[in-house]
Amino acid sequence: MLDLYARRRHRNTMVLVLSIGATVVGLGWLVMILGTLLYEGFSGLSLAVFTEMTPPPGAAGGLLNPIMGSLMITVIAVLIGTPIGILAGTYMAEYGKYAKLSMVVRFINDILLSAPSIVIGLFVYEIMVAPMGHFSGWAGAVALAIIVIPVVVRTTEDMLALVPKELREAATALGMPRAHVIGYVSYRAARAGMITGVLLAVARISGETAPLLFTALNNQFFSTDLNAPISSLPVVIFQFALSPYADWQKLAWIGALIITMAVLALSITARALAGSRKSS
Amino acid sequence: MNSMDTANTAIAPPVPVAGKDAEPHGKLAEKVLVRNLDFYYGDHRALKTVNVPLYDRKVTAFIGPSGCGKSTLLRILNRIYDLYPNQRAEGEVLLDGHNIIEPGQDLNLLRARIGMVFQKPTPFPMSIYENIAFGIRLYEKLPRAELDQRVESALRRAAIWDEAKDKLQANGLSLSGGQQQRLCIARTVAIKPEVILLDEPCSALDPISTAKIEELIDELKDDYTIAIVTHNMQQAARVSDYTAFMYLGELVEFDTTSKMFTTPTDRRTQDYITGRFG
Repeated sequence: MLDLYARRRHRNTMVLVLSIGATVVGLGWLVMILGTLLYEGFSGLSLAVFTEMTPPPGAAGGLLNPIMGSLMITVIAVLIGTPIGILAGTYMAEYGKYAKLSMVVRFINDILLSAPSIVIGLFVYEIMVAPMGHFSGWAGAVALAIIVIPVVVRTTEDMLALVPKELREAATALGMPRAHVIGYVSYRAARAGMITGVLLAVARISGETAPLLFTALNNQFFSTDLNAPISSLPVVIFQFALSPYADWQKLAWIGALIITMAVLALSITARALAGSRKSS
Repeated sequence: MNSMDTANTAIAPPVPVAGKDAEPHGKLAEKVLVRNLDFYYGDHRALKTVNVPLYDRKVTAFIGPSGCGKSTLLRILNRIYDLYPNQRAEGEVLLDGHNIIEPGQDLNLLRARIGMVFQKPTPFPMSIYENIAFGIRLYEKLPRAELDQRVESALRRAAIWDEAKDKLQANGLSLSGGQQQRLCIARTVAIKPEVILLDEPCSALDPISTAKIEELIDELKDDYTIAIVTHNMQQAARVSDYTAFMYLGELVEFDTTSKMFTTPTDRRTQDYITGRFG
């Protein structure tokens, strides 16, 4: 019996060591990525990055136009995608819980959730860029919105599903119409989780490059015209990092750092919101 | 169907036989009358031809082992089961003589008349004040001062005003379990229903909170018709005027509480009350 116990303990130690090893390897890469990014990007960070436009090779410049472009495209993508996602998620969790349509939508949504973003880029190219005859900020925003929708649908449905049915029953028992129950009780109870979903969607699209290459393309000048090609950080990083010019490569590092920090800030906010939901 | 027959004979007289403390004067008005009610969860028949009255401004307790259909019966009376598509009721539930099981009811108005408090306290994720005011605003547009007044009187009514008055803006979820349950009762009382359904309102509470809620039920029955489902037989004996015993989806026996707890007619009632099964 003691032999059996000793063997078990031995096995426990082995599994523990393997788990720690896997964690270190996994986290190690992350630390190395962040370290390189900070090392390469931080040294070039200056006010000029935020106030000047992308330069021609060999000249000094910043990332104002891609930052502005990324912000615009992202905000519009979220404005388009969030309402659609929340309404669809609401339908699935509240109205159509037992309907066949919900099952179909859930299945398709799961496929869309993992669809390669380049496919989405090509799709929007076909339906917007080709008919319009030119690349545009709008097309970029629509492509990103298509990536936002499934993320928001999923989190909205999941978070609403977590709202106890007793709460819905209690609200209904007061004579509250369905829309009120959803709007004032379910949404309130699920609010933090739903906001987290939107923030995660923003984090997801802020680094997307492939769909923008086919839609918003790029613009080396400052432009807020969404009807024209518009610059964005991921595409500029892609272009500059592959260039042979050292100062362009430097700007690519800085851009990568800016995106990473923005996503990190969003993730921390999302975490904080999710945490406050439990404690409240 | 032999057991069915006993069930029917047990409640055969429409007005219960006079127990020792049955209503001495006047005829009892039936606020709610359940007639030949069947209920189905999908194909499962959960209630079998149930007949029972709820007398006006009286407390009626429903007792019986788990799964006997007491909560199911309560959930029919305000048609909360309508939220779930595979549940259906057949028969009659007459509220002031009007069958509420028939299709075409305005369910929201019906539920405003028949309030319900659930087993688990369910404060809404909003302030204590809003928890009460919210329900009132659904049906009445009141000036701020009057609304404040209504919220206060509801909280007083539910014996939670003293504990809540200094933190009306605090989240309802910050209250203790017993306070949350009284908040839920206040919320129900605030919209001035005619009937209040209590589904095991004390099962999640400690004895002190339970005592408070029982006192509250005693006060509320001056104005409201009350139905309470409980697993606690002492509680049924303490708070109710009438008791109904249910078993396996049937209503076995209905009578005044004192008669039910001293000389029940049906063997099964006797066994349950004396703790021989259930």
